[in-house]
Amino acid sequence: MEYDWNFAIVWDYRAVLLRGLLYTVMLAAITIVTSMILGLVLALLRGSKVPFVYPVISTMISVVRAVPVLVLLVWMYYCLPIITGLKLEGFTTVVIALSIYSSAFFAEIFRGGIQSIDRGHIEAAQSVGMTRGQVFQRIVAPLAFQRIFPPLVNQCILVLKNTTLAGYVAVPELLYLGQQISVRTFRPLELLTVVAVLFVVTIVPLTLAAEYFEKKYREKYFR
Amino acid sequence: MTLLAIRDVHKSYGALEVLKGIDLTVEAGEIVGFIGASGSGKSTLLRCINHMEAPTRGEVLLEGETVGVKKVGDRHVPRSSAELSQQRRKMAMVFQHFNLWPHKTALENVMEGPVVVQKIEREKARAKALAALARVGLADKADSYPSRLSGGQQQRVGIARALALEPQIILFDEPTSALDPELVNEVLAVIQGLANDGMTLIIVTHEMRFARDVCDRVVFLDKGRIADIGPPSHIFGATANARTQEFVRNYYG
Ligand SMILES: Nc1ncnc2c1ncn2[C@@H]1O[C@H](COP(=O)(O)OP(=O)(O)OP(=O)(O)O)[C@@H](O)[C@H]1O
Ligand SMILES: [Mg+2]
Repeated sequence: MEYDWNFAIVWDYRAVLLRGLLYTVMLAAITIVTSMILGLVLALLRGSKVPFVYPVISTMISVVRAVPVLVLLVWMYYCLPIITGLKLEGFTTVVIALSIYSSAFFAEIFRGGIQSIDRGHIEAAQSVGMTRGQVFQRIVAPLAFQRIFPPLVNQCILVLKNTTLAGYVAVPELLYLGQQISVRTFRPLELLTVVAVLFVVTIVPLTLAAEYFEKKYREKYFR
Repeated sequence: MTLLAIRDVHKSYGALEVLKGIDLTVEAGEIVGFIGASGSGKSTLLRCINHMEAPTRGEVLLEGETVGVKKVGDRHVPRSSAELSQQRRKMAMVFQHFNLWPHKTALENVMEGPVVVQKIEREKARAKALAALARVGLADKADSYPSRLSGGQQQRVGIARALALEPQIILFDEPTSALDPELVNEVLAVIQGLANDGMTLIIVTHEMRFARDVCDRVVFLDKGRIADIGPPSHIFGATANARTQEFVRNYYG
């Protein structure tokens, strides 16, 4: 089977594709920030001793994790306006849906990290007189962060890839633009290839940087 | 002068009553040893003293102030976390497993309390921490992370961390139990030094010889009660208490 590759056409659309990549990265960055904040709040609430907070939060997390993210997104885009009468822009809907979805995973990562901290390190902090907030800020948070760094980076990469779902509600991210160009040029294989390459060159350096930093702190603190 | 008073302290975990009414006063400058079988409640008592565990009944007074709670009328109400925090730092603790924070250097471990809790200016806290490290013989390890230190060195940093708080009293929970035998003496020597300097110390220990040589008084805990108490000459000699005799014989060898 012969296929006559033609990447010259792709080159003509380079500006559009780069704009798409930028859009994707921006979408991912906003989603990562909001879902990390939301996830941290959920993780802390889940550890709270206030009655009902724990079962409510953990049920919410289980439900959100059980729904495929595309279903959540499309449902929010088409069903929510019917139910609530509130119509949100595509971009906003994507950020909200992806943030809710990812926050459930971030919450689990944060919770695991917080729980993994040696009781003794917390007791030592209490014994020198640190208050609860100081113990968290000075001891628990930095130690937990080091421990959850790899899964955190992983989750960020998943968010980045999940942004490709934004195309379903016509948000002009990289894959969506790639598909539009391929419809116009009849060159889907070239465009998919280029989109894949653009994702790889964005994500691989992130992974490498993460591995580098992880190795650095391991050498420093846990040799 | 009475520094610490423990009055009728009880502690239960659910149905398990671990401390069944402990009364003890500690004078300033006194060295008190706690001995007793595993599970007799030694660590629990230490943790009730600095209110890491709240006693289920009774109270602890440091310089006449109730620890962790205060009397309002004739009711006990919990102290604010700021008040408790100031009380805790007056009763520094040294742990069996050192519990140094792995992401901080020896110096940073020692500085943490003065800077964060006492809010002492960084440069002053640094000088103080270096002095504390020098006192345990580790000035040259200031910039090492705990993972690069031997067990004995880690425990000495733990002691320096306690010293830097300028506590009224230091609570030791089996400070040498986790150490290889050849590292025990360097830690005991540091504690002996603090005793000589007139610090008030409470030491939970299985090192009977050390308890005999260093302590002014030794408390034998048995099943959550003080079964016997007195100077080392009493506990390790004259006592008529058969359980003390048996316990001491088993550990003393
Ligand atoms: N947080 C807790 N919850 C339930 N039980 C506890 C708790 N802490 C201690 N205990 C129980 O209280 C009893 C006394 O424990 P404690 O640690 O005070 O003994 P110990 O004299 O220090 O013993 P060791 O020499 O082994 O350190 C034990 O039976 C222990 O299982
Ligand atoms: Mg113990």
